[in-house]
Amino acid sequence: MKAMSVKQLFTQYKMLALLIAVALIWAFFSWKTQGSFVTPRNLSNLLRQMSVTGILACGMVLVIIAGEIDLSIGSLLGLLGGIAAVLDVTQHWPLALNLAAVLGCGLVIGLLNGYLTAYRGIPSFIVGLGGMLAYRGILLGITGGITIAPVSDPLVYLGQGYLPALPGVVLGIGLFLLAAFLTWRSRTSRAQHGLPQTAAWVDGLRVLVIGAVLYAFVQTLNDYEGIPLPVLLLLALLGLFSYITSQTVFGRRIYAVGSNMEATRLSGINVKAVKLWIFGIMGLMCALAGLINTGRLAAGSPSAGTFSELDAIAACFIGGTSMRGGSGTVYGALIGALVMASLDNGMSMLDVDTYWQMIVKGSILTLAVWVDVSTRAGRR
Amino acid sequence: MSDYLLEMKGIVKQFGGVRALDGIDLQVRAGECIGLCGENGAGKSTLMKVLSGVYPHGSWEGEILWEGKPLRAQSIRDTEDAGIIIIHQELMLVPQLSVAENIFMGREITLPGGRMHYAAMYKRADELLRELKIPELNVALPVMHYGGGHQQLVEIAKALNKNARLLILDEPSSSLTASEIAVLLDILRALKARGVTCIYISHKLDEVAAICDTIVVIRDGKHIATTPMAQMNVERIIAQMVGREMSQLYPQRGPQPAIGEVLFEARHVSCIDADNPQRKRVDDVSFSLRKGEILGIAGLVGAGRTELVSALFGAYQGPCQAEVWLDGQRIDTSTPQKAIARGLAMVPEDRKHHGIVPDLDVGQNITLAVLGQFAHATRIDGEAERMAVRGEIAQLELKAASPTLPITSLSGGNQQKAVLAKMLLTRPRVLILDEPTRGVDVGAKYEIYKLMLALADQGVAIIMVSSELAEVLGVSDRVLVMGEGRLRGDFINDGLSQETVLAAALAQHPAPAADTAYKEPAA
Repeated sequence: MKAMSVKQLFTQYKMLALLIAVALIWAFFSWKTQGSFVTPRNLSNLLRQMSVTGILACGMVLVIIAGEIDLSIGSLLGLLGGIAAVLDVTQHWPLALNLAAVLGCGLVIGLLNGYLTAYRGIPSFIVGLGGMLAYRGILLGITGGITIAPVSDPLVYLGQGYLPALPGVVLGIGLFLLAAFLTWRSRTSRAQHGLPQTAAWVDGLRVLVIGAVLYAFVQTLNDYEGIPLPVLLLLALLGLFSYITSQTVFGRRIYAVGSNMEATRLSGINVKAVKLWIFGIMGLMCALAGLINTGRLAAGSPSAGTFSELDAIAACFIGGTSMRGGSGTVYGALIGALVMASLDNGMSMLDVDTYWQMIVKGSILTLAVWVDVSTRAGRR
Repeated sequence: MSDYLLEMKGIVKQFGGVRALDGIDLQVRAGECIGLCGENGAGKSTLMKVLSGVYPHGSWEGEILWEGKPLRAQSIRDTEDAGIIIIHQELMLVPQLSVAENIFMGREITLPGGRMHYAAMYKRADELLRELKIPELNVALPVMHYGGGHQQLVEIAKALNKNARLLILDEPSSSLTASEIAVLLDILRALKARGVTCIYISHKLDEVAAICDTIVVIRDGKHIATTPMAQMNVERIIAQMVGREMSQLYPQRGPQPAIGEVLFEARHVSCIDADNPQRKRVDDVSFSLRKGEILGIAGLVGAGRTELVSALFGAYQGPCQAEVWLDGQRIDTSTPQKAIARGLAMVPEDRKHHGIVPDLDVGQNITLAVLGQFAHATRIDGEAERMAVRGEIAQLELKAASPTLPITSLSGGNQQKAVLAKMLLTRPRVLILDEPTRGVDVGAKYEIYKLMLALADQGVAIIMVSSELAEVLGVSDRVLVMGEGRLRGDFINDGLSQETVLAAALAQHPAPAADTAYKEPAA
C-alpha cells in the first residue's frame, strides 16, 4: 500500500503508535539508568504509581466521551482518601464498613456533580472548578490540615499488598484463555454473518502477542513480590469499563450523547440520566483511587491528589480521546496513564529537577494532542 | 483568446480510490447564469470546491482558465481576489454581529490604529443594500434580527462588496419562503443585467428554469449535457439528472386509501418563544389525524409548523402546552422519551444537528432509539442488532456498502433514510416527518414518498411538514395550512391547488368554514 501516507497509517494504528512511544520512553530511561529502570522492582513500582491515575482515567474517559469534563476529582480523591483515614485512625471502623462508607460518599458526591451539570444546566467545567475548591476545603476542615496517620494494616494492604505468585500465574493463564476465546468467538460470529475476516495468522499472531505480554507481565511482577493489588484492581476496571463502553446499552449511549446530544435526546434517550450516572461512576472511581492512595501512603494527607485531575485528563487525551466528545477508549486512556507514569518514574530516577519534570510532562501532553489533531484533520 | 470568462477543463478529483469528479468540463460566458444540476452526490459541491479553491491547485487534475489565463488558487482567498465568490447553503454569517460588520467581515474599513471606521462601513453597506432593493434593513442591527431571506441577501451584499464577478450560489433558497425566493430571483436578474455572472445550484428546478440561461447537468462525477434553457424544460432536466425519464415525481396511492377512524388528536397546542415571552410561535392549534392518513402541514417559514410538531413530540425548546390524545386517551408526551414510548416518532428537520450522531456508524445510528430491545441483561446482542439493521437497510433501499461505515460518509438522502430507519424501528403509530426530503435528491425523494404511502397503508398516521408545496400536494391526503402560529385552513387534498394553499397561508384570517374538515372534538 504505497498510496497510504504516513498520516493514514498513523490514524489507523494510533494505539500501536502509542505503544511504540511507551517502548521508546522505556528504552531511553533504561539506557540512561544503565538498566535499573526495567528491573522488576522498578516496574512493579511504576505500575503501582500509575494505578491511581489509571483508576481516575477510567472514569474520566467516560466523562470526556460524553462531552463533559470534571476538574474536581483530584480534590475529591483527597477528600475521600481523607475520610477513609479519619474513619480508620480516629473512629477505628473495620475495613469493610470503611470501604462501603467511602464508596457511598464517592457515589453521592459524584451524583451531585452530575445533577448540577445535567439537571441544573451548570457547565461541568464550573461544577468541577467549584468542587475542586470546596472538596479540598472540606478535606482541610476534617483533617485540621494535618496528616492523619498511622492507618491500620488492612487499609495499608489495599495500597501496598501483592497477589502471591501462584494466583498470579493462574490469573495470567486465565486471561490468556479469555483472549483466545474472545478472538475465536469474534471470528465465528464474523464468519456467520459473512463479514470480512482478518487473516487467521494475524489473529493467531495477536493472541500469541497477548500471551507473550501476559507472560512477561506476570513473570516480571512475580520476580519481585507479585502483582500489586492496585494494579490488579486497575486490570479489573480495564476489563469492566471496556465491557461497558463496547458491549452495553449504557456504553453506546455515552458515545451518542457526546457525539450529538440533541439527536440522542430526540431518539428518546434520557440524556440527563446518562450524564448523571457518568458522574456517579466518576465519583466511585475517586473513592477507589482515594482508598488506594491512602493505603499506599499509609496516611491521609490534606494535599493528597493535588493535580491528579490534570494527570487523569492528560492520560485520556494522550490516549486519543476526542476533545469534542464522542470518541475514545478506556485502554487508550490507560496507555496514556502509563506514558505519564513512565515519565514521572524515569525522570525521578534520573534526579531530574521538578521544574524540568513539569516542563517535559506539559510538552508531551501538548505534543500528543497536536499529533492527534493533525492526523484527525479532514476527517470531520 | 477565448470568449469565456471561466473554463474548467477535464477536472478530475479523487478521494481515496473514488473518482468524485471524472473529467468535468464547464464553460461560463461573462454575464450569463448557469444552472448546475445533478442529484445529491453527483459532484456539484465538489466541483464548486475545486473552483473556489477549497481544494487547492494540485490536489486535483485538469485546468481552470479564468479570463483565458490559468488559475492556480491555493486558497479561497486567491479565488476571492480574482472575483469568484461562493455563497454556501449554510449561511456564513455571525448572528451576533451587525449587518454591516458581517458585510465587511475580513475586509473591514479601518481608521489608524486598527479602529473600525463604522461611519464609512455603514454608508457603504447602506449603498449595497439599496442596490439590492432592501433599504429597510438597519445595518447597525445584529443579523439575527432578520429572517433567513434577508440574511441570504446580506450574504449577497457581502459578495458584491468583494467585487464579485462570478457568484456561485449553492442551494440559496433551501430555507426561504416563496415570496423571499421571488425577491432573490429578481435581484439575481438585476445583477445579471449589471454583468455579474452566476452559477446557480438548486434542487428546485423551477427556480433554475426561471433564472438560468444555460443548464449544465452532471451525474456520477461526469458531465452529461450543456444545453441552452430555451431548449429545456423541468422534465427534461430531471430526465438528464436521473438518466431516465421520470414519468411522475410522486407515487400514486391505491384507489381506496385505507383511512380509518381518528387515531390521534392534538388540542390547544401553544408555544411561547424561548427568548421573547411576548411572542407566541404557535397559538392554540388543534387538529386530528386518522389512521392511515397522511397529513401535510404547509405554511411559510416562521409559520410555527416545526414548533407545533416539536411540541407534540416533547422536543420544543421553550415554554409550551399541548394536549395529546391517542386512541381517545390523553397521553403524556412531555419528553421525546415518553412520546416514543407512547407510539410517536419524529424525524427532525435539521438532519445534521438533530438527526445523525456523527461518531456512531450507520448501524449504530439506526438502532440508537431501540437499543434496549437488543440487550440481554446489560449486554447488547450484536447478532440481533445486525439483523434489525440489515432489515431496515433492505426495506428503505438505503445505499451503504456496509452498516459499519461512518454515517457521515453517506449522501444526504441515505443519511435521511438512516434517521428514518431509526424512527421506524420504534414501530410508531404516529410518524412525524419534518421536511423529510430537504437536501435529498430526486431518486431518494421518490423512495421516501413510496415508503410513506406503504406505512400509511399499514395504518400508520403520518404528519408531514414541508416547505415544498408541490410535495405537500403530491403525497398528502389532507393539508393543514399554518400562518403566524395559527391554523389557517384544513383542506381535503382532492384536486387542491397550490394557489388555494398559498392564499390560505398568506391570508390574514382563517379560511372560510366551508373548507374546514376539522371539527372540534367533543371534549
